[in-house]
Amino acid sequence: MKEEQSVLSKYLCPYCSEVFLDRESLKTHVIKQHRSEAPPSPEGMIRVTINGEPYELMVEPEWTLYQLIHDKLGLTGAKMFCDRGACGSCTIIMNGRPILSCMTLAIECDGANIETIEGIAASKHPLIDAYVKHHAMQCGYCTPGFIVTAKALLDENPNPTEEQIREALSGNLCRCGTYPQHAKAILEAAEKLGKGD
Amino acid sequence: MKKFVHFNARTIDEAVPLLRRYGKKARIIAGGTDLLGVMKDEILPEYPEAIVNIKTIQGMDFIDEDEGVLKIGALTRLQDIAESAVVQQNFFALAESARKTGSTHIREMGTIGGNICQDIRCWYYRYPNNRFPCLRKGGGRCYAIEGDNRYHSIFGGSVEGGCYAVHPSDTAPALIALDAKIKTTKRTVKAENFFSVGVSKTTILDDDEFVTEIQIPKPPAGTKSAFMKFARRKSIDFPIVNCAVLLRESDQKVQNVRICLNAVYVKPYRPIAAEQAMIGKKLNEPNAEAAADAAVAQARPLEHNGYIVQIAKTLVKRCILPCSS
Amino acid sequence: MAKKMPGDYERIQTEGMYRIGADVPTIVYREIGKRGVKRIDGYEKASGKALYTRDIQLPGMLYARVLKSPYARAKISRLDTSRAEALDGVRAIIRYDDPEVKGRPLNGSYFGPEWVCPDLAGWALKPVHLVLGDEAWYEGQPLGVAVAADDEETATEALKLIDIEWEQLPFVLDQEEAIKPDAPVLRPGAESNILEDPRTRIEKGDVEKGFQEADKIIEFKAKRRAHLWAGAELPSVVVRWRGDNLEMWVHSQQPYHQKMLLAEWLGIPMNKITVHVPYQGCSFGGRGNPANNSENGMNILASLLSKKTGRPVKFLYDRSETFFGESGDMMVSHFKVGAKNDGTITAVHIKNVFAVYMCTPGIEHLIDNTKIPNLLCESIVADVSIAPAWWCRCEQLPNCFCLTLIFDHVAAELGLDPIEVALRNDGCDGKDTSYLAEYKRQHGFPERDSLRECIEAGKKAIDWDNKWHPPGTKRLPNGKMHGIAFTWDHQWDDVRGTGSAAVMIENDGSVSIIAQHADIGVNPWTTYCQIVADELGVRFDDVNIKPFELDSGFAMMSPDGSCNLVSNGNVVRKAAQKARRMLLELAATKFEDVKPDDLEVKDSMVFVKESPEKKMTIKEIVAKAMPMFDSCVFWTEAPIVAWAWHTQGLWGEALETGRPRLCRQAHFIEIEVDTDTGQIEVTKVVNVNDVGKAISPETVEGQMYGGTYMGLGRALTEELIWDKKTGVLLNRNLLDYKYATMLDVGPIETIIVETGMGHGPYGTTGIGEDTATIIPALLGPAVYNAIGKWIDDFPITPDKVLKALGKA
Repeated sequence: MKEEQSVLSKYLCPYCSEVFLDRESLKTHVIKQHRSEAPPSPEGMIRVTINGEPYELMVEPEWTLYQLIHDKLGLTGAKMFCDRGACGSCTIIMNGRPILSCMTLAIECDGANIETIEGIAASKHPLIDAYVKHHAMQCGYCTPGFIVTAKALLDENPNPTEEQIREALSGNLCRCGTYPQHAKAILEAAEKLGKGD
Repeated sequence: MKKFVHFNARTIDEAVPLLRRYGKKARIIAGGTDLLGVMKDEILPEYPEAIVNIKTIQGMDFIDEDEGVLKIGALTRLQDIAESAVVQQNFFALAESARKTGSTHIREMGTIGGNICQDIRCWYYRYPNNRFPCLRKGGGRCYAIEGDNRYHSIFGGSVEGGCYAVHPSDTAPALIALDAKIKTTKRTVKAENFFSVGVSKTTILDDDEFVTEIQIPKPPAGTKSAFMKFARRKSIDFPIVNCAVLLRESDQKVQNVRICLNAVYVKPYRPIAAEQAMIGKKLNEPNAEAAADAAVAQARPLEHNGYIVQIAKTLVKRCILPCSS
Repeated sequence: MAKKMPGDYERIQTEGMYRIGADVPTIVYREIGKRGVKRIDGYEKASGKALYTRDIQLPGMLYARVLKSPYARAKISRLDTSRAEALDGVRAIIRYDDPEVKGRPLNGSYFGPEWVCPDLAGWALKPVHLVLGDEAWYEGQPLGVAVAADDEETATEALKLIDIEWEQLPFVLDQEEAIKPDAPVLRPGAESNILEDPRTRIEKGDVEKGFQEADKIIEFKAKRRAHLWAGAELPSVVVRWRGDNLEMWVHSQQPYHQKMLLAEWLGIPMNKITVHVPYQGCSFGGRGNPANNSENGMNILASLLSKKTGRPVKFLYDRSETFFGESGDMMVSHFKVGAKNDGTITAVHIKNVFAVYMCTPGIEHLIDNTKIPNLLCESIVADVSIAPAWWCRCEQLPNCFCLTLIFDHVAAELGLDPIEVALRNDGCDGKDTSYLAEYKRQHGFPERDSLRECIEAGKKAIDWDNKWHPPGTKRLPNGKMHGIAFTWDHQWDDVRGTGSAAVMIENDGSVSIIAQHADIGVNPWTTYCQIVADELGVRFDDVNIKPFELDSGFAMMSPDGSCNLVSNGNVVRKAAQKARRMLLELAATKFEDVKPDDLEVKDSMVFVKESPEKKMTIKEIVAKAMPMFDSCVFWTEAPIVAWAWHTQGLWGEALETGRPRLCRQAHFIEIEVDTDTGQIEVTKVVNVNDVGKAISPETVEGQMYGGTYMGLGRALTEELIWDKKTGVLLNRNLLDYKYATMLDVGPIETIIVETGMGHGPYGTTGIGEDTATIIPALLGPAVYNAIGKWIDDFPITPDKVLKALGKA
């Protein structure tokens, strides 16, 4: 078993996955084909962009993206509510998609472009003020998850209907019951974005 | 979560040997929305030792129409399938079933391959720390039979001795109704033959095998399809019952019909009697009603799930009726 | 229940604390009642900057978890923690038989520590009163071992390495089974599973006489199954010792109680405990039971582990562990009602069997706000093998459940409009509305008919006159059956609560409210700033509140019982009035020949009433009024800080308090029932609440629709489900315990009525709990109106609808 493993890891090209019979052939190949490429990441390292900033991070395989962002990097906006992918409070945007960070392994995010609520707020996105104005929060615990999901929606659909908003946000739970206020806030933010404010 | 070894597979040829090596102790991960729940709750008697990520394999995320066959890569996200104009146009039941799966977030992460291969949701099976070591996990009995079975099978148990958990997929019945084929790393099979009633597996996949592609023949002109889902909530929830229908009507008669129910049995359920009841008949309410009755004629509900029979019947009828040309 | 000391009401009345009579406004409202006031907590919450207890991380912090029982009723017969202790990263373990905890109970009750309420210690807790015991009374009960480790995974793993042998004992889940003679007795030494409760029999008048006077007798049964507050933030506490001082970050509605309880248990003085209260991710009462394992127990264990390891400890629960504290309204009830043909109710007899705990007996609102003269309520509380139940938004649930079902059954049986029946029976303590009119007159309240006003507004909004129809008669074009229903109640709570706070004018003229308060989302701080702004005469933007870090000794009334604003409104008002007095006294020295009474404050400016051109900004006035200054170059003046304490009243029935409930509320609902699937769609809800005075209208509306949303969940989808064979709670997660998503809730129209007849400041009453508590039972009459069948078994799920229709 151990030998098999060493065969796999020694003679498999880390750049293009081509398999070689011996170490010399692999070495020749790498020099010839991949000389000008950046060295591949060591195992457990991911290179990600978070809110526009580049990061190089060593992560354990069992860390979820939520743990990485919330516990290790201190970006505490994303919240743990159900911890099983059924509430949307841990939502972040990865490569343009609103996804559940608690159901994503950090080690699988190499190369990802990630946006969190902190980045959205720092960029003064109109959603923030609109949410405050329309009281679209009470205890506030689910609010970042909603805003991130709403931002992903507006990125893809700058003029959503109320129906589209409700469907897009239907995976976000709010126990305090702020639901009627979100569409109002999002429609106002969409209008502001449309005007180029 | 507990520790495990992780591999980001770059090719199928890298993934398969890993699966072979670890055998039952490895799992592949696609969207992760099912697997991570299994692992966080440690529901299995043995925690996976190795996780093989197949999202890093190129060339499995696509929707292509190719000579009358729709081909969808197994890693294609459900949201992309739901939004695809091609799928909505000619394969409506699939677009609709994808659209009704989970929530926006789940659809942005979840893949069609993962959706049809997902594990069952029985609350005894899923109780954390293997609190109920049931038949499916190598134990002696099905706890749902003597327990709360309100969400369990109405058509009896699995063939080998009585697991009554249902298959939870929304896209599976649509694929079966659309007469899809499932292509894996080893073979291509009809969708309805892909699902297994074995006690410990929901599909025919070997431990070192995974789905790579879905192939759906383009239905002839005049064919319509429908999909409906019944759940407690309009988002996030797994189905209590769902139904997909593919139907072609011409000369005021039903020429061809395929019906598939899911979440009513251990695998998706094709009520052949209901299909036969519609062939050659007019597409009207009394006939649809009769077909619906036939669809549930074999039902053997358990103590708490008799209501599912009525709902299944209703969905069959409501999926048939809109399919008129 | 709490025992009042004789003379308590009289005493606080004499000292001027307890006012009976209308609150006549003395100020001009500028911020109070205004829309568009920016939420103080809004930006922090929207931007992700708001910190909750679960987010707190301290250097060197350990993570702690506790073992749970996998069985509904069991004892530990053998416990070996050696493998857990040997695990790398485990830093400390406490076992149930360690000297620090052995045999020691949780102290106190909701009402306070033992030294304050000795007769209530352990109240509502079942025999589960040990901090860390070896006996389980429900599946999932924390017991046995607590572990602190370097990270959460290690703590979790350590618990799995504990070798434990259990002795399983008989359990019982169903309350009606539990009171049968052959049921296993759960409490050691008890003769039966019937629990003591002083409210077991409540009687007014003579129900037999009342039944004889009736034209019709109506009998029916109803059942309310278990549901949960299920808050967003997972419970946790962070604790660290600084020498012999203790510092903690709590997730709690009543942080001050946490301090008291912990001081008593640990044997350290209260002045050595600092409590921080970060933002709270929901509470609803669930983080408002300081006496439970999940709060008091967690704090104690965390403190002990922190002491043992010398490191900060975060004690946490995962989501599956948050399924404690069901609402105390798990009831099976039998009703017998006598009524005259015109809808006058002559007698009501309720028989209840509650599971675990009876938060209220069900008859109290019939006393509080009807003229029904003959009432009898007999309740049995049966111990069953589930977690201790609690008050979860809110304890009035059984009272509202009974009122709605009684009134709507009477209306249906007599073929009357339920609005008629409500208006006919409105009153107080067996007396009709003329008594209330007289009370209003005598005590200076506006003489308005609150119920009628609420009903008129609601009828219009839902188009009642055109939409109401006999039951089971209206099928819509989409094939579904249309249902419409109405209910009502009094508006609570304006008669209790206690708090304290200080108001300080900083020496740049900005104003701080100093007090600790837990924010659970009801937007209270904005409201207090509005009140202070108007009372003090400053601009809203000049007022701020800093409640987290300030364990200042001032503690505002917790967001409980809908009496938070009513109490704290008075507290900050008094403090602001005192501060204003101090400001004017100081200001008078800055003008020539002016006495404090000659001055006025408006928009942060002080001016002479007779000659307003003589003015100064507050900033100028207080420039030298500072708590501390380095140099002695000039004479500094005393800082302007004033504090106030207020008690709004005691818990009790309205009549006992001398303050009958004058404000009412009315709710309407419209549904569509799919008779082929049993699915119920709520197409419209209209809430009308007479809150007396809405200080922050958006906040009031938020509580109205938020509560309705919770009420609909309770009515339709929220249910805790136990496995009968093992007593295991099957749906310990938020996928299987279902509350509504955005797509599941239709339009909710909220209408605020302001009659000014509340007993609170500016005529306010409470609002936080009302709709969540009243809406659940309203689905019963709505379904009856739709399909002509009563399904009085909540939640009303599709299978029950289909069964009622004979389709399942």
